[in-house]
Amino acid sequence: MTLTTTSFDWVRQLVHRESAIVLAPGKEYLVEARLLPIARSMGLPDVGRLVDSVRSRPSPESTRRIVEALTTNETSWFRDGDPFTALTSTVLPALLAARGPAERLQIWSAACSSGQEPYTIAMLLEDALPNASTRVSITATDLSREMVERTRAGRFSQLEVNRGLPAPMLVRHFTRAGSEWQVSPGLRRMVTAAECNLAAPLPPMGPFDVVYLRNVLIYFDLPTKQAILRRVRALLRPDGWLFLGAAETTLGVDDSWERVVVGRSSAYRPLKGA
Amino acid sequence: MTLAPGATERRAGAGPRPLIPALIDAATVEAIAGEAWIALVGEDELLVPVPGELPADTLSAWVDVVGPWTGSVVLTTGRQTAADLTRALLGRTAPELLDHEDVADAYGEIANVVGGNVKAALPGPSQLSLPAVGVAPAVRNPDDVCRVEVLWRGQPLVVSVQGALPPLPHPLSPHENPHPNGASL
Amino acid sequence: MRALVIDDSRAMRRIVSGALEGFGYETRQAAHGQEALDLLHDGWMPELCTIDWNMPVMDGLQFVSAVRANPAWRALTLMMVTSESEQSQIVRALAAGAHEYVIKPFTADALRDKLALLGLLPEEALL
Repeated sequence: MTLTTTSFDWVRQLVHRESAIVLAPGKEYLVEARLLPIARSMGLPDVGRLVDSVRSRPSPESTRRIVEALTTNETSWFRDGDPFTALTSTVLPALLAARGPAERLQIWSAACSSGQEPYTIAMLLEDALPNASTRVSITATDLSREMVERTRAGRFSQLEVNRGLPAPMLVRHFTRAGSEWQVSPGLRRMVTAAECNLAAPLPPMGPFDVVYLRNVLIYFDLPTKQAILRRVRALLRPDGWLFLGAAETTLGVDDSWERVVVGRSSAYRPLKGA
Repeated sequence: MTLAPGATERRAGAGPRPLIPALIDAATVEAIAGEAWIALVGEDELLVPVPGELPADTLSAWVDVVGPWTGSVVLTTGRQTAADLTRALLGRTAPELLDHEDVADAYGEIANVVGGNVKAALPGPSQLSLPAVGVAPAVRNPDDVCRVEVLWRGQPLVVSVQGALPPLPHPLSPHENPHPNGASL
Repeated sequence: MRALVIDDSRAMRRIVSGALEGFGYETRQAAHGQEALDLLHDGWMPELCTIDWNMPVMDGLQFVSAVRANPAWRALTLMMVTSESEQSQIVRALAAGAHEYVIKPFTADALRDKLALLGLLPEEALL
């Protein structure tokens, strides 16, 4: 049941390589506690088996889950808020000017984790657009069934809502439910959650006006990054917008994108004719 | 906190008083305490949901909740564990020798954090008292208690959400009233 | 930047002050609202106050109202840091003039995120 030294060392090296974070010896129980839910979600009895499984069949998604579980406590809502500020200041006005009044805007949150990103987008749009719930639909996808179910439920712990969610938005869009907070029915109606593996051919979706694909590409090798960006581009409207994580870029990966500066953030747009 | 004479009888006349098991479950109390530990004591300070036997020398910290439900949120653990908890909370700023004041302050603040969140999960609005540290208030009504037993660093700790009011007289035996002159807490 | 940490628990004052100092703040502490008001009246003007709710002598909500009643203190940012977490309480504090609300328990990261939202994170703490 206890993690072997070999397994623990493998996890330490993985986390150090991917995040530069050092897990000190003696943190075996932390690794056990944080990774056990991942092992269970994959139908494995303990963390030792999880490590064996990922070592024998490396997968970027499992790697991402393990690194995220050990490096971040809670996903923050508006921290690194620039891609969200850009949505309401620049992207939304441009889209509203370009689309007909009856046309639905479609937004894709492509690695939604427990749902902070799609609900952040939903809150911003509800505050900016009087008829947001009929005007906008947000597709939230993640590889993990557990994350998709959490997004669908829209319930967040006290520690999660403390992370960069402005208090006025908390009281406007959530209600207290036991030890947790429940997102409003209106926001939940805007968000449709589904499982989706970005590294495989995508299900029929879209076309999307905006795609948030943040902090995902870093976990994949170059050919997979290229394949993902190609598939995303096929689902993005020609005048659509792509947001990547602050440490990610299409430069040197896929030259069919144009980088544009939006406020303090960058977005990527399909190059015409590329 | 002192209840006026006849308070329970007036409440009894207004209909059944809610008891804590109908308002909050052990899993919620455990989640609240677990989050308090992870955030305040340390990110790898897990509370393990395993019962243990409390030592003879215990110390409690509690806050009172007064509202639609009235009672106390009580933490109880060994005196030494309360001191360890204080050191963990203060981290690098812990003094070499802890005095009772240090323990009362830190342990009481943990009770305040757990109690505030338990209060928010109950029907409101309610008032929260300042924390107290010492010998836990007695359980008044065994049916009005939600008790969670955990281990922290292998040491037993109990979180008890317990009503401050004695049981209502049973409707079939109106003569039975254990506290005819009201109850003082 | 300067912060006044108001909480009746000495342990909690140390935790909040420690986190803020880690972000580059200079801090002072007060054990209740009146002590905090006295510091402000003496002319020590911080950019930020972190405020517990339940305290003896003067509670956090009374302190917020007192600060908001004085136009000279308009630039002061008020952030509740309290275990009071009923939704109606958060609404009351915001209506009384608090800018932000952190629910105890919180992590240093949660304080940092809220300060970033308020534009009150010193540059060196942004990374």
